[in-house]
Formats: sequence, C-alpha cells, structure tokens
Amino acid sequence: MTDLSRRDFLKLTRDGFLYLSGALAFGGLLRFLSHETNSARKTEFDLGFVDKYPLGSRASISEIPALLIHTDSGFTALSLTCTHLGCTLKPNETGFACPCHNSSFDAEGKVTHGPAVKPLKALRIEITDEGNLKVFTA
Amino acid sequence: MRPSFFHHLHPPTIPTAQSRWRYTLGAGGTAIFLMLVLVITGALEMFYYIPTPAEAALSIQTITYLVPFGGLVRNIHFWSAQLLIVVSAVHLLRVVFTGAYIPPRRFNYLLGLALFLISIFLNFTGYILRWDTGIQWALVVGTNLIKTIPFFGNNLYTILIGGSEPGSPTLIRFYTWHVFGLMIISAILIGWHAFRVRRDGGIALPPPSLRADPNRISRFELVRRETLAMILTSAALIILSIFSPAPIAAPIRLSVLQSVPESAAAPWFFLWVQQMLKWGDPFLFGILVPVIILLILVLIPYIFPKTLESELGRWFPKSNRLAQITLAIITLLIIFFTILGSLPTS
Repeated sequence: MTDLSRRDFLKLTRDGFLYLSGALAFGGLLRFLSHETNSARKTEFDLGFVDKYPLGSRASISEIPALLIHTDSGFTALSLTCTHLGCTLKPNETGFACPCHNSSFDAEGKVTHGPAVKPLKALRIEITDEGNLKVFTA
Repeated sequence: MRPSFFHHLHPPTIPTAQSRWRYTLGAGGTAIFLMLVLVITGALEMFYYIPTPAEAALSIQTITYLVPFGGLVRNIHFWSAQLLIVVSAVHLLRVVFTGAYIPPRRFNYLLGLALFLISIFLNFTGYILRWDTGIQWALVVGTNLIKTIPFFGNNLYTILIGGSEPGSPTLIRFYTWHVFGLMIISAILIGWHAFRVRRDGGIALPPPSLRADPNRISRFELVRRETLAMILTSAALIILSIFSPAPIAAPIRLSVLQSVPESAAAPWFFLWVQQMLKWGDPFLFGILVPVIILLILVLIPYIFPKTLESELGRWFPKSNRLAQITLAIITLLIIFFTILGSLPTS
C-alpha cells in the first residue's frame, strides 16, 4: 500500500465513486420498477345464497378459478390453478388435468401425475348469517 | 468522398474468401436486414396498436382485418421475427463450426450472443403483446417461472410484471421493453457488432503468411451480393406472409387467470423448455438448464481448444472439434425436445 502514488490514489477514488454511483442508480432503478400498480387484489368471492348449490352439486367458479363441491360432509372449494406453474386445470373423468405440462390430480386434489408436487389448494369457505356462501383465496 | 459508416462496412475491396456464400451463408447480413424490416413494420404497427388489456387484441384485429395492407405488415413483422431467430441460430452455428470466434473476434462473439438473447426476448415480448387467448398460458407459465428463482425471484417478478398477477401494468411494461428498451439496446449492439467485424479484419481467414489468396472482390460486388440476399429474404417473407398468416386468437375476456385459453403451447422457440418442464422441478428445467446452455455458449471461446489460425476460413476445422461437438449435441437435443414438445399430448 505504501507504493500507492498520489495519482493512483486519486484514480482509485474516482473509479470507486463512479462504480458506487452506478450501483446506487441501478438499485434506484430496480426500486422504481418494483412498484405494484394494482396491489389490491380481490380475495373474497360472494357466491350467493347457499341453496343454489344442492347436495351432490359441483359448480365451477370461473372467476377464481375453483370448483365448489357439496357432499355429505359439507362444502369444499378446490382451487383449479395448477400448483406447478399456474395454468388452469380442466376437469376430466378421474379428476383434473393440466393442459400445459400434463400434471393431473384426482377428485380430492391429490397429485396423480407429475410434474406438479403439491396438492390442489382447498379454499376457505364461510357461510354468512344471511346464508350467503363466501370463498376466500387468501 | 468523406468515408461513412457504410464505407467502413464496405471497403473498396475485400478478399473473395470472406464473401463466399458457402462459408458465411450470408446469415449475419440477413439478420441485420430482418432487424431493419422489423423496425419498419413494427413502427407501422405502432400507429394502430393500443397497449391496454381491453383493446390490445382488438387493435390487432383492426390492423389485421381492416387496415389496408395491415395484414401484410403484421404478417411480415411476424415472419421476420421468426426468421430472425432461425437466421441468428444459423449464424451462431456457422461461427462455431468454422472456429471463427478465436481472438481477436472473441469479443464480437459475445456481442453476437447478447444480440441473439435479446432477439429472443424481443420475440417473446412481441408475442405477449397479442394479449389474446393464444398467448395467455405462455404468459402465466413464463412469469411464474421467474418466481421459482431462489432469493430474488419474487422481486424480479414484481419488477417485470408490475403487480402480483399479469394485468395492465404487465402489458405496458412488455410494450415498453419491446418497442423501446430492448430495441435501443439491440440497435446499439448491432452497430457495435457490425463495426467490430471490420475492426477485427473482416470475416475470419488465416493470415496471408499461412494461406495466401490474392483474389479480391470490389465494394460493388459485395453490395450486389448483399442486395441479392435482401431480395431473396424479402421474397421469402412475402410468400410466407401470404400463405401462412401470423397467429391470432380471441381476446382475453376477464383477467388473464380467469379466461379459457385457446392454446396451451409455448411459442415455438420455447417448446423445448415446455417439454422439459413436463419432467419435473420448474426452476431446474425452466431456468437452470437454459442458463447453463447459455453459459456453455459464452465459455466456448475460453475453455475449449482454440482453432489453429491456419485452419480458419473453412468448415469443421480439426483443432476446435470439441466446441463443434458440444454445440452439435446441444442443438440436436433442443431440436429433439422441440419435436417432442410439439407432438399432441397423449
């Protein structure tokens, strides 16, 4: 370090400041671009009066997308978004199949064929005091 | 006469061996021509295209079906973009299979790779601008892949998508990258890439001391050949545009995640990635493998045995066999996976 001449020292300082300001500007750019314009995403869906969905019915809720199933044990809402990379599943005889990468799930949402690993998400359901069915995605 | 950039790229004479079709395939020049066609047709499309989720697909229908010659302009833009990917790939294969990337051309090889990568991004962003039911799964899958990157995946997703799911901020971001950000970067890189060709002594040949060849062609002959390539390319573009129009599908009705797609297929140049994604972990097959392939391409001039100068100017020199074999294997695998990915699923 003792060999560092005045000229080299100034050069090093100048370059250091240049790189530092470049890095700061880049960080600022990333922060500038990371604003979420539509952050308020709808997570609550009112499906109307409970009696619309009689025992044994399977109703597709395309705006989530999900499938509402009414069995003896009550209501379940199964998310139809593939847990692999997010394509919407298509119902078939045995369950659900993904058109994008061939994942398939059984009627309960368990994986029967990869590449998906996680089972389908069961969405939270509430029945309000007025008897309306509500599904929550978050 | 005051020398211009044109004269820099077209010296009074050049060695005949540098301009043989069977050596260069005319691929680099054709790629630049296609870029030019893309800029012109793209600028024309900008007079009608509306980058909002509600109107994007409809404005493309307007261009395609109502605007006089609009369909032709859009088809030529589409086909130039597809041909650009093919021609750039051929150019890359030519450079590696002739061993031309050794110093002093190593830096220009990297510039070329960067251009190739950017033209893939340009193609993908342009594809997404359709904002119809033909592209929506490619958008959902492509953007969800970003989330699988450890540590900074979610932040990168927000930066590129502009929200927690694809929507109007996404479309305007892709539009801005397509018509401005990526465009300006590729314009600079193309100028630099072409400038470096001449600066590095033209197309790669052995030094005269190793293989003397006094034959030269004039500037006029070079321009004649370039014009011929441009005319043939234009003819191909027009024929493709007439007989095979650019794909178009029904507009996306609700939000991207809620409407029913017409197609689950990735754009053709990503079919090989879609095929690999069927096998398992999205980060491994969707991000890591493509990045590793890119890394191998970057490292070709650095880690493999160098081409002997005496063997330059010919196809398949013995001295860089390892690089040739590596790239050939990668190319064949990509083609094979693309074919697998385009077969109808069982």
